[in-house]
Amino acid sequence: MIRTLVMAGLLSSALAYAQDAGVPAEPSLLDALDQAAGGAAASPGAPSSNPIVRAFQSLNPDISVILDGVAGSSQRAPLRLAGDDPDLGGDATHAAAGFTLQEAELGFQAVVDPYFRADVFLTVPNLSGVEVEEAMVTTTSLPADLQVKAGVFRSALGRQNGQHLHVQSFTRRPLLNAAYLGTDGLRAPGVQVSWLLPVPFFLQLDVEAFSVGAPENLSQPTTFGGGARTDFTYAAELKAFAAASESLSISGGLNFATGLSPGLETNPELTGARSYLSGADLYVKFKPANEADSYFNVAWTTEYFARKLGRFVDAGLYSQVVVQVARRWSVGLREDVLGLPASELQPLTSRTSLSIGFTATEFARMRAYVEREFAHSAVVSDSWGAYFLLEVSIGAHGAHAF
Amino acid sequence: MIRLFSLVFVLGALASWAEEPLRVVTSIETFADLARRVGGERVTVESLSHGYQDPHFVEAKPNLMVVLNRADLLVRVGLDLEIGWLPLLVQGARNDRIQLGQGGDLDVSTLIDVQDVPQVKVSRAMGDIHPAGNPHYWIPPVNAVRIAKGLTERFKHLRPGEATYFDAQFQKFLAEVKARAPAWEAAAKPLAGRKVVTYHKSWVYVSRWLKLDEVGYVENKPGVPPSPDHLAELIVLMRTQGVKAILVESFYNRSVAETVAEKAEAKVLAMPSDVGARPEVKTYFDLVDAVLAQLGK
Repeated sequence: MIRTLVMAGLLSSALAYAQDAGVPAEPSLLDALDQAAGGAAASPGAPSSNPIVRAFQSLNPDISVILDGVAGSSQRAPLRLAGDDPDLGGDATHAAAGFTLQEAELGFQAVVDPYFRADVFLTVPNLSGVEVEEAMVTTTSLPADLQVKAGVFRSALGRQNGQHLHVQSFTRRPLLNAAYLGTDGLRAPGVQVSWLLPVPFFLQLDVEAFSVGAPENLSQPTTFGGGARTDFTYAAELKAFAAASESLSISGGLNFATGLSPGLETNPELTGARSYLSGADLYVKFKPANEADSYFNVAWTTEYFARKLGRFVDAGLYSQVVVQVARRWSVGLREDVLGLPASELQPLTSRTSLSIGFTATEFARMRAYVEREFAHSAVVSDSWGAYFLLEVSIGAHGAHAF
Repeated sequence: MIRLFSLVFVLGALASWAEEPLRVVTSIETFADLARRVGGERVTVESLSHGYQDPHFVEAKPNLMVVLNRADLLVRVGLDLEIGWLPLLVQGARNDRIQLGQGGDLDVSTLIDVQDVPQVKVSRAMGDIHPAGNPHYWIPPVNAVRIAKGLTERFKHLRPGEATYFDAQFQKFLAEVKARAPAWEAAAKPLAGRKVVTYHKSWVYVSRWLKLDEVGYVENKPGVPPSPDHLAELIVLMRTQGVKAILVESFYNRSVAETVAEKAEAKVLAMPSDVGARPEVKTYFDLVDAVLAQLGK
């Protein structure tokens, strides 16, 4: 009804206009083309003549907030809980259940000047207080295809360590993240030098040095964070990418890190012992170039780390497949295994998880996540866990990394 | 220090100017075709996306960073069309020539009259909107000439020694467009006033050129799948207004549009929206011909 009225109004005013002023003669296409050909071209950074575009101009950083709310339950406290996993309390013998705000993340991002950009991500995991997830400066104009990053940041070691929670397809991080890289992953103040090698395909070498802080307690074996701040943790990663076809992409990495262990309560010989991590990651994705054709795609990720800590050698891996089955629906299956081979520090532990995701829009999604932890132990029971997540993002629209 | 490095770099680049063609990378294939026309043999051109892909959702594959690493000029649509993928590629490319605001970064939307700039405070309750205006602007010939002119000026800025060549190339392109204009105008004439529904709000520039009357959209909120209620209203609207065509880019899933078309006794027109949308659409001229031919059906 309103639409009809508006239409009628528009029509009558258009008629009145035509009668009063006469319709201005429409230029022919040829005239319009000549006019366009003579048009002044914009020079780099030229101010826009459009007042509305001008009104958008601001030198404030792009601000975004991402919220991850969770309701869940597990039969006992989960093993190897990562810092940004949902923490619902419980312990080895008591169930964990309830609501939590798994993470509130605040992002501030901007170009600093012609030489640097800065990215700051503050995070409040499980309402436990503000942490600096990342606060880093990255160069934008170094020669020789080099890029230097400095500040607090997530190491590029492996595939998932560098990812924020909201780009993961599962509600909990892989077990090897907390077990081998640290509760919050390998994330610390440091410097990274990254080189894009001059070859015809994508090959990148990253070298990093961090001052990793000691963990709050030494109840679990910890790979890095021992010694003084000058006892750096060093990491190096070689990353390659190949497009096997337009739809099939393969990305892989070789990863190495070394540092000092802060030790373990029950084993004083580990304090200050040198630790080595070496591993590899592989990511294979099949996605038709035109995604709306079928909305079908498959991504398979596998990551492996072996650790030598003092006289102990052990390793762990995870492998996951995520399939987009419809425009809004995806299904993921993941298997985690730690202790392959096992050691006194890392006994055999495994986990199977299933994730069903619903993407309402680019800015809101929901996920049902179920996991079964196998402790392979006479002391610790196996456990079911189930979590429902609602994730929303407001503010600046971030780009999606491959 | 950085300045010294840049100086060495610039000197090195100067020395190689005479021989090396300008390396142009475009975000869409239409820009690649226009750049080839204006640049001739003095440029090499590569497009990051293909015409059969949805330009909103191109994957930021690392091999594209390698392409951008060597680029002298990045030509992009702007207006946040590529916001989901291009910024990461530019950042990963380690190429300061193409960073935002540098001489090697051309935001083509600065060359044209942008339509659909929101006149009210925007919110994402309106869908995944483009707050700076509608970015689907490259099909009308007037805009193509403006884009070609902008490319010419930028090529001249980057290669002052070859200005005459680029100017001549542009005049050649302009003459070719003008030669085709009468046929296009003849094909456009019967389309004027025709009522259409489009899938995404991405035909407003074409509709303005051809005087099509857009009475509704399948996707009432950009990027959000339409609700059954909206589709029911749309079918009624199409029936009452006698709308006989739904325009859908070839990269969108056609199933929803086909259901609506069937109920409203209309037909779905699979519209090429970029060079490369279909194998036979190889150039900008093919694109305009194909759009007009499809609308004429």
